[in-house]
This record gives sequence, structure tokens and C-alpha cells, in this order.
Amino acid sequence: MEWLFIFEKLIWFGIAAMGFAVLFNVPARAIPAVFIMGATGGILKVILMKFGVDIIFATLVGATIIGIISVYAAHLKHAPPLIFSIPSVIPMVPGVFAYRMMLGFIHLSGTPNKAYSQILESTINYGLKTFFILLCLAAGVSFPMLITRKESVKDFKIR
Amino acid sequence: MDTKKDEIRKFGKILLEIGSLLMSSGASTGRIRVTINRISEGMGYKTELLITQRALVLSITDEQENDYYSSIKRTLPHGVNFKLVSGISRMSWRIINEKWSVDQINTDLTRLKSLPHFPRLVILTFVAMAGASFCRLFGGGYLEMIVAFIATFFGLFVRQEAIKRNYNTYLCIVFASFAATLIAGASVYYGVGKSAEVAFATSVLFLIPGVPFINALSDMIDGNISAGVARVIHGLIISFAIALGMFLSMLIYNI
Repeated sequence: MEWLFIFEKLIWFGIAAMGFAVLFNVPARAIPAVFIMGATGGILKVILMKFGVDIIFATLVGATIIGIISVYAAHLKHAPPLIFSIPSVIPMVPGVFAYRMMLGFIHLSGTPNKAYSQILESTINYGLKTFFILLCLAAGVSFPMLITRKESVKDFKIR
Repeated sequence: MDTKKDEIRKFGKILLEIGSLLMSSGASTGRIRVTINRISEGMGYKTELLITQRALVLSITDEQENDYYSSIKRTLPHGVNFKLVSGISRMSWRIINEKWSVDQINTDLTRLKSLPHFPRLVILTFVAMAGASFCRLFGGGYLEMIVAFIATFFGLFVRQEAIKRNYNTYLCIVFASFAATLIAGASVYYGVGKSAEVAFATSVLFLIPGVPFINALSDMIDGNISAGVARVIHGLIISFAIALGMFLSMLIYNI
């Protein structure tokens, strides 16, 4: 049952990544790679969270793996790594957290009532989670380029 | 001597064209600089660049610094097109390896610009499928997935139509977000499915400014702070536009 659940998520992560690849007009030859990368990064996040890892760190790990695979994909398909990595990390964007943060802000800008401080707490929590998850997505994607101090993936020696 | 001057001018114009195409199709500032420097070094020129969100300044000299050419070009806000980014990157390597002439670059650039997008129905269907998957990932059921599919499909359709009619970029996003949440909001209003709110929240996710935010961080890490800040602000305005569209539907349905 558990594995079936994970396998199902794998498919959804892949389809979401593929949809964004089509929206961003990624060349057709690169789309299968985007599907695989989106599914891999997303499923890694889900599995880590199952083991009790915090969502922010799990996202960082998932995005970093996507960043590393994107270098290999770039060599394989002769295209810049960002066209693989950006559509692949988008399924991990915390859409519902951002939505709840927005709802919270709308409530907070109204007249204060009894639940005000409670809404304030949850809004700050959702807002910070959204912010740090987005930061981790961007950092994870640029990680391999930073750590190797190369200007182009063509300089990598991959055997 | 005169032909030399003409050639440097022609080449400078092409470099500016390449830079502005890269900028409007979603490449990071570092990538634009690296690509342009690579091409101009391959052709035996030295190039200095100033890259901002809406304009490029370029100054190009030959190796003896006898002739120079400087110019500015505005970049157009087109929308993300990774096929062009990938095509220009491939072209830049071929220019070095195969020692292309300026005219050859010109014809290849025209070819790259005319490459087709995916057919409209394919884009709409795939993005709508992505919207449905998002809904599933955030814990929606099958009914909510169908709602998210229809809402995303319609929202993206409205956005494409608005872009075609040359509305302001951010206004297009308000329209799209409003259209998508108008459909998803109806499902919340009539109580379709157990977690209709998830469909409402995920129906606008096709608009999220992922490319500006990720490029912003890689720009700032590179040291292009001003370019990065400009991209962050651009992303924030898009986020506010999405929120505005959602807010309007929430007022209508009183969610």
C-alpha cells in the first residue's frame, strides 16, 4: 500500500514537471528527461518526509539532486542545464502554503478580533515555510554550478 | 578599412540581438554574459556588456583596439522560451568549433527565431494536466482534479488571449488568475468534493513566477545584485497579480 502510494506520487510529480516543460517550450527531445528528473526529485522529498525530515530540508535535498542530474542531462542532450532543472523543481513549489499565507494576510488586514493572534501565528508560519522552500528550490538548482566554480557545463569532465 | 568597420558593426548588432533574445526568453544574466563573450572571443573581438532587465549596453572592439562599436538595445518582455535558450547555446559552440562567418550566424538566428512553439491545444492540455497533478499532490481527490484541470485549461486560455491583445503583462496574469479561480471557486461554493479548497489553491499554480525567482537567486549569487533584485521585484508583482485575481473571485463567492 505504501509503495503504491509512492509510485502514484511519482507519476503526478512527473506529469506536473512535464506540463511546465511544455509551457516553457522546452525542446521535445528534452521532455522525457524532465519527466524523470521531476519525478526523482519529488519522490525523494516525499520519502524523506516520510522518515520525519522537515519539509524545508527535504525540498533542498530534492532540488539538489535535480540540479546534479541536470548537469548529466545537459551533456546527454546537448542543452543548458537550466532548461531541465527549472521545470523539474516547479512541482515542489508550496502552492497551498502560499495560498494560506495569502488568506492569512487578507484576514490580518481586516479589523482585529479574538482569533487575530492565532491567525498571525499561522500566517507567519506558512509565510516563512513558503519563503524558505522557494529559497531552497533555487539554491538546490544552482548548487552544482556553485560548487564546481565552472562557467559552463561543457568544462565538466564526465566519464 | 571601411569594410572592417562595417563588419564590426554588423557583428555588434547580432550580439545585441542574441543578448536581448536570451534576456526575454528567460536566461540568467551570467548565462547571457558567458554566451556573448564566448561568441565574440570565437570571432576574435573583445566585448564589454552592461545587462539590465529592459536594456542591453554593448561595446565591442577588435584585438588591436583600432575599431570599436557601442550600442544599446531594448529587450522585449516576451515570455519564457527555453527552445531559444538551448538553440543559442548550441549555436555558440558551433560558431567556435566550425569558424562561422557573421552572415552564417545571422541566418541561423533567423531560423532559431522562427522555430515553432508546441501547438496551442497541446500546451493547454499538458498544463491543465500539470494543474490536476498539483491538486493530487496537495491531497485533492479525483473530483477536485477534474475541477483543477478545467480551471487551469480555461485560465491559461484567457492568459493567451490577453497576451495576444497586448495587455500589460501583469494585467494578463490578473485576468488568468481570476478566470481560473472563478471556475475553481464555483466548486468550493457548491461543495464539489471533500477538499474543494485544494482545487481552488492549485488552479492558479500555472502562473507562478518560477523562472524569475530561480534566475534572481543565481544572478545574486553571481554578484549581479541589481539584476537579481529587478527579477525578484518582477516575481513579486506577478505573485501579487495572482493574489489579486484570487481575491476578486473570493469576494464574488464569499469564500
